[in-house]
Amino acid sequence: MKKIPLSSRNPIGLALAVTCIAGATALGFYVLGKDEAYPSSDTGTVDAEVVHIASTVGGRLKTLNVHVNQAVKKGDVLYQLDPEPYTLALQQAQAGLALTQAGVEQQQRLIAVEAANADIAKNQAVRAQTNHELAARTVERLRPLASKSYIPWQQYDQAQVALHDSGITLDQSHLQAGAAKVAVGDLNSSMAARQVAEATLAQARYALRQTTVTAPADGYVASLRVIPGEVLIPSQVLFTLIANDSWFVTANMREGTLHAIHPGDCATVYSMIDRRTPIRGHVESIGWGVFSVDSAGLSRSLPIIPREMDWVHVAQRFPVRIRLEQANPQLLRLGATATVEIRHGPACE
Amino acid sequence: MRYQLLQRAIPVLLLPLAGCKVVGAPSFPIAGAYFPSWMLCGIVGIAVAVGLRVLFLATDIDALLSLRLFTYVSLGTITALLFWLLAFGP
Repeated sequence: MKKIPLSSRNPIGLALAVTCIAGATALGFYVLGKDEAYPSSDTGTVDAEVVHIASTVGGRLKTLNVHVNQAVKKGDVLYQLDPEPYTLALQQAQAGLALTQAGVEQQQRLIAVEAANADIAKNQAVRAQTNHELAARTVERLRPLASKSYIPWQQYDQAQVALHDSGITLDQSHLQAGAAKVAVGDLNSSMAARQVAEATLAQARYALRQTTVTAPADGYVASLRVIPGEVLIPSQVLFTLIANDSWFVTANMREGTLHAIHPGDCATVYSMIDRRTPIRGHVESIGWGVFSVDSAGLSRSLPIIPREMDWVHVAQRFPVRIRLEQANPQLLRLGATATVEIRHGPACE
Repeated sequence: MRYQLLQRAIPVLLLPLAGCKVVGAPSFPIAGAYFPSWMLCGIVGIAVAVGLRVLFLATDIDALLSLRLFTYVSLGTITALLFWLLAFGP
């Protein structure tokens, strides 16, 4: 066995060592720069938008047309509540509308009668006016005759009383005509009542329509665990629909690499369901805020600042939303692990 | 002479890695857990450093070296970084 000295003063060996160390250091910095310029993350999550399917009205679940994990198309009928109470309410509202319609017609007849009465009262006033004028002229004619005793005073007195009477009658008939005019009603209240009934009918129709729930988007049925017969309160969620039209990946990126990520950047995404198939995506947006434990605290009390003596601080990460372009549906399941490479990888070449 | 041999040896040793662009995600499932790419690079670096040590001992190149620990660590590091660049780099 040959003894090898631990450190010889061999200049070739020294030069080799220095070259290797320098090479490793330089390469290390180069790789660090590359890693910062082309960020990647292996903590992404496949994500999609979801709709919590519920009806705005309550009732007994009558028919359920879907089962869990089924794919549905937009507009498909998902389930139906028992429509009977809502049909009855609709009938009630229809009857209410008919009632108020009849009220409107009744009111129209009343108004016609009142208008005729007002006309009569007006004509009465005209008649009282002409009578009053006649009485006044009679008094004028009789005055000289009475003063010269061609007629008895009694007759002149009677004419004056008749004038007075006709004056009162005229005043009364004016008041009556005014009152009869005011008394002529209008359709406002009955029309308003009819509008209320119409609105109630529309609401009843709407409520009846809400007993049938259709799919608001293409997607998959998730977490459905009930069968027909279940009684649902209004807005109770029956299951969740995972929308199939907009899949994306949420990848958490360190704050130090965010400068290298821009909306629109190409991204290679691997869903770990099949780690060999690259999926092309593009950066849609970068999260503007995350909740930081260091600044946690009640907004109305004093800030909570823990005492610490940490010298190494782990970088904060922000969620980067990457929208996926064409992808095999088998690789897209909400919550699946995803690996993301920004601006490199096979999908971006 | 031997120095030139060594200089030639490094690229030759690293040559097989050129075709090693890893297909698929830079994350490797082992028994239900995902291991990151840099861990694989580190293992490759350590393996290559140990392999070089054995090779150099066998070919007496080791006798030429001084500061062996630093040299082998650097060689391992270089291998790991090159492997990362070739296999996973942008």
